[in-house]
Amino acid sequence: MFQAMGVHGPTLSPLAGLLLDVVLLASAFLLLAKPTKRPIYDSLFMITLVLSVSLLRVVMQPLPNVQPVTVAALLVGAQLGARRGAAFAVLVAMISNFFIGDGWWTVFQAAGWASIAFAGSRLHLVSSSGLNLGRACMASLVAAFWFDFIVSFSIINGTFGLSEFIIYLGHGLPFDFLHAIGNLTFMVWLGTWFYNILEEEPTLEEIEFTVVNSHGIDG
Amino acid sequence: MYRRFLALLFISLFLLPLATAQEESNTWEVSNSLAWEHNFESGFISTSPIFTGELILVRTSGNGEPAVTAFGVNGEMVWHHFNNASTNNDMSPLLHVSAGEGPCGTWQEMVLVGWSDGQIQALNPSNGDLIWSIQSEVRGWGVTGELALDGEFVLVPTRQGLGKYCLADGQEQWWTQTNLAWRNGVAVTETGYFLGDEYGKLWHVDRAGSATGYALQLGKIRHAPLVTDAGLVIHAQAAQESTVAVVNAANGLVTQQFTAGPSPAVPTSRGQFVVTGDSSSIRIFQCTSVCEPVDEVPFHTNGEMNWFENGMLLLPSNIPESKWGLFSFDGLDNLSYTELDIGLYGYGTSSAMQYVHDGTTYTAFGNDQSLLRVFSGYKAEETSLVDEFDWGVQGLVFILFILIGSSTVLFLNGKFDWFLRTSSLFILIIFILLLPNLSSQWSKTVDEQFPVEAIPEQWNEQWPDTWMGTQIVIIELNGEEHAIGGIVGHSDVYSLTMDACNELDFEVASEPTELGYYIKSIHGVEANGWEFFVDGSKGIVSADNSDIQATSIVRWTPV
Repeated sequence: MFQAMGVHGPTLSPLAGLLLDVVLLASAFLLLAKPTKRPIYDSLFMITLVLSVSLLRVVMQPLPNVQPVTVAALLVGAQLGARRGAAFAVLVAMISNFFIGDGWWTVFQAAGWASIAFAGSRLHLVSSSGLNLGRACMASLVAAFWFDFIVSFSIINGTFGLSEFIIYLGHGLPFDFLHAIGNLTFMVWLGTWFYNILEEEPTLEEIEFTVVNSHGIDG
Repeated sequence: MYRRFLALLFISLFLLPLATAQEESNTWEVSNSLAWEHNFESGFISTSPIFTGELILVRTSGNGEPAVTAFGVNGEMVWHHFNNASTNNDMSPLLHVSAGEGPCGTWQEMVLVGWSDGQIQALNPSNGDLIWSIQSEVRGWGVTGELALDGEFVLVPTRQGLGKYCLADGQEQWWTQTNLAWRNGVAVTETGYFLGDEYGKLWHVDRAGSATGYALQLGKIRHAPLVTDAGLVIHAQAAQESTVAVVNAANGLVTQQFTAGPSPAVPTSRGQFVVTGDSSSIRIFQCTSVCEPVDEVPFHTNGEMNWFENGMLLLPSNIPESKWGLFSFDGLDNLSYTELDIGLYGYGTSSAMQYVHDGTTYTAFGNDQSLLRVFSGYKAEETSLVDEFDWGVQGLVFILFILIGSSTVLFLNGKFDWFLRTSSLFILIIFILLLPNLSSQWSKTVDEQFPVEAIPEQWNEQWPDTWMGTQIVIIELNGEEHAIGGIVGHSDVYSLTMDACNELDFEVASEPTELGYYIKSIHGVEANGWEFFVDGSKGIVSADNSDIQATSIVRWTPV
């Protein structure tokens, strides 16, 4: 759905663009503003994650609609939960678009990836034995079409009718399929590895709690 | 057993794109080298150069260069003949005439030039001096089609008719009215002359000048009909597609029809074979008692096609940044295509020309960027055996083979996780390689299947009548509309826009992307990008992928 070359969504003034960035950033911080046991570790981890995935997106920009962020958002949502997954999606969209090109579409990209992160947290992609790769692959395929659909709404600017919008969606189908194949490739190659990176190390308190709790049960 | 069968099927399916994508070795590039080139700086080379035996004559058109220029065999300019009165888009092919005599007089060797301002000039090919000149009718344009010789006469298709003139002094024998026409060459047959018009009529004019029109209703006829044993072959241009038709010359009845792609090129023939081209493919037909399709190769060409003695066709691809195409026909049923990199890229409609000088074969190419390049073939003893090896392409092909091989082995061994990894990577790479062409074809199909209803752009009464029935471009700049019309022959928005901006003296900044050309600024105005409308419908794909009609109105608006 990135086929359009003569089509643009609404144009933002510099002030509107600034406001948009502030709103996006604020929502990301709000989503992250949850007390954790290890605030410094968690913050550093999230910053590293966001920067590395943003960098990956920028580097892969020459490949049309190959979007590593979609798979990352899905797995971050699955492993770290909906709030942190959505915050991750918003920050990656903002930071990577700072290099690739910022605009009205950033909102829709952030919304698309945030909704995928939310879906990831609800789809039971992770079980006690680890990542359910089959389920994760299916989810990554569907996520491609969902994300492209959401982002396509950025094109609507008052001069675009419903029929034109549907035709616009139709034009983008080859790119949607490429996005889906790209997602599948990322998931089968890197899904398990990325999932393992996201797996949280238990704190000493948690280990102690687990041990005491298990002793209590035994007792 | 079941798994092995699936593995075999998998390999066969996925090797298919590799097999079809494999590049043929390009022997032409190896055996030819650039001899000389000339940059005309402005305008475009609108029709095939010709060789008079000593000089190469090149026709240029456009704002700066409505001219015929002669070069020596080593590239030195010998003479230059301007026509500042030209109304532009001079694309009538130059016609070399040997000296001779007939009942209407004696004539020397000459080059006949038909101009868009209606002039027909006979030039001395050795020095460019005017031998004679006559004025034919003008309605927006004058002569745009291919002239033909019939004994001591030259037949000239004018804007609305056909004229017959004596070669000795240009004296008009008769002029017969037909219909409004463009690039409509004339064919000479035993019974007289055939030519087409913009309303889809095929006209027969006998040698006394009496005209009969046959309404074929297949579309605009913009070339000289080809005379074959099966009948007259016409490639007619309709709104979305075209028709290759065989017409009975005796009664004007259509005996065969073949649907083809949009915006036809000028067809050509050799013996019993006819080659047609359009925006989708090159087709070859064998015409004996009937015409039969023989082969078809995807390619985009909309201009002249020249079939050389050695069976080769060298065709310009009329799309941005494109390379030329080299086509070879085996004389039976196989037309092969090789991409040709001759340093000329992008739009072009003039055919290549070959000539032999001192035992060496030269090939001259020109295109819309006003650059003429002449290549010389190596003589046998000079042939270099150096073969270029493209490490990038070969490396990619090697990786693809590794991936397909690994996928099969992993599948047979039951390692499905790794099978999924290698096969998905293989499919991803193939898909990325196919995407530019795939998305372009897909967009065209979607547009054809689901045309968007829109309020068509209205004719402005202030526009000159000569713009009627032509392509018009409106550019909105700083609240003002700048319109230019009377443009013809473009098949996509990008090509039309570049021509229009050239006429308006506006600079256009554009950049190529994987999805087509993106217009960054027009006349220095970037805004937040530009969007375009074709006949009122908003452009959905890139300008070079947006097809237009012969009478389309394109509007550019800054966002």
